[in-house]
Amino acid sequence: MSKDDDYDYLFKVVLIGDSGVGKSNLLSRFTRDEFNLESKSTIGVEFATKSITTNGKVIKAQIWDTAGQERYRAITSAYYRGAVGALLVYDISKRVTFENLERWLQELRDHADPNIVIMLVGNKGDLRHLRAVGQDEALAFAEKHGLACIETSALEATNVETAFMRLLSEIYTLMSSRQITDADSFRNAQPAMQVEPVQAAPSRNGCCP
Amino acid sequence: MQSASSTGTQRSAKAQKFHRLLSLPTVDLAALRELLWSGAPEEDPKVRAQSWQMLLGYLPPVQDRQPSGLQKKREEYEELRRRHYLPVEAEAPSGDVDGAILRQIRLDIPRTSPGLPIFGHQRIQQLLERILFIWSLRHPASGYVQGINDLATPFVVVLLASELDCLPEEINVDAASDDTLDAVEAGAYWCLTKFLSDIQDHYTSGQPGIQQMVAKLREIVHRIDQKLYDHLEEQGLDFLQLSFRWMNCLLLREFPFPCVIRLWDTYIAEPLEGFSSFHVYVCAVFLIYWSPQLKQMDYQQLMLFMQKLPTGKWRNQEIETLLAEAFVLKSLFHSSPNHLNPR
Repeated sequence: MSKDDDYDYLFKVVLIGDSGVGKSNLLSRFTRDEFNLESKSTIGVEFATKSITTNGKVIKAQIWDTAGQERYRAITSAYYRGAVGALLVYDISKRVTFENLERWLQELRDHADPNIVIMLVGNKGDLRHLRAVGQDEALAFAEKHGLACIETSALEATNVETAFMRLLSEIYTLMSSRQITDADSFRNAQPAMQVEPVQAAPSRNGCCP
Repeated sequence: MQSASSTGTQRSAKAQKFHRLLSLPTVDLAALRELLWSGAPEEDPKVRAQSWQMLLGYLPPVQDRQPSGLQKKREEYEELRRRHYLPVEAEAPSGDVDGAILRQIRLDIPRTSPGLPIFGHQRIQQLLERILFIWSLRHPASGYVQGINDLATPFVVVLLASELDCLPEEINVDAASDDTLDAVEAGAYWCLTKFLSDIQDHYTSGQPGIQQMVAKLREIVHRIDQKLYDHLEEQGLDFLQLSFRWMNCLLLREFPFPCVIRLWDTYIAEPLEGFSSFHVYVCAVFLIYWSPQLKQMDYQQLMLFMQKLPTGKWRNQEIETLLAEAFVLKSLFHSSPNHLNPR
């Protein structure tokens, strides 16, 4: 098979958050180092993969980018099944996208594995002059819900790689700490995530370095 | 500006047929359907616009009634615009449903571009915003759903090209008067409204119309390309995954824009009960077109391939082949409906 298929673990990750926060561009920046200012809205879900190496292991991330509009929830929530990680994205220049985060967490509680690792991502860091969500608020929210958090700019390619790497590493760490070494269960499309609720200290990762 | 419409002697045989039909005191709609099904003449933008508007019930088929009919429809739209749009023109109020809809529309307008620069023009963006917002207020069961913005673009382009008497790629928005744009706006609104009435349950809660179409697509592919069907099953690729966007945006995202216009000639010309059942056959033929490649791919390759099918160089010819095959398929299934009954 192609080299692309040479991996130790396959992690399914979902990108969620309000419409227009930049989910698709985060994905294209991470997987293809591309950014499109005029990208069309995502209809339903889109998909991309990328392999990374952490702790000497090759992890293949299978990332599902979902449409943000509420009407699509019935379709998109089906994709949460089997996901071991989620990037929960808001736009630092649009307050309402931050205020809706609770609803997105509820979506994950309703449809995703309870042990899913979630990273809060404040995107569009390049719009610092229009900032509407403070870093301290984001940090407080993340701590309250036990999430790691980070600010990114898909446009300027800031922290995008870091965000994905941290999420994937954390999933890996949690998984290894639970001695789940049965790679086979992660090789199929719907791996069974069997880790305890997230205990990793979010403040260690720190919001907004 | 040079007129795009050819003069009588230079008209293609196809254009002549349309002109003959459209110049009668009362246009025979069945005959017009039949002609438009095979495509409007590309060189004559007025013919396409007239045919679309007539078959979508906007332009009266009786010539004497056309001026008054259009006038009435335009006034009705003006009234809707006055009633619904102005109060919220300044800003989208937070908290209420209408405000949320307007915010969503405003997010999507700048990213609505079927590859034509006119959609970057402020006047066109505002026109589109009003059409979508008013449509959405008038259809509260669905409201605005992402993708409907795409579906409005063919009407804007076809009607504007007709008003300016130029080819779609030559449209110069600055050359259009306010009155011209108002006429385009009203026409595009009514045409979109009629067009969407066939598929409104695509956009209501749970999107049942799309689910049904996907189920039917699955069944058709099962019957006519079992090997492909089995392969997709084996790889765990769900039909909803591969065809959701096809149903939601009526293939508009899958083809170059001129091909979409050609496809919609046929959709608009489909019999009165609407194009939606035919669309599923088009999707089936479109999927099976790639069958040889698809059968070699694993899950991930399938997903990536289906997301970005290599149709960038497609022209009307490929669309017409697709349509012809879909027609044959539909006739086949309709003449023996048991094919589609659950076993």
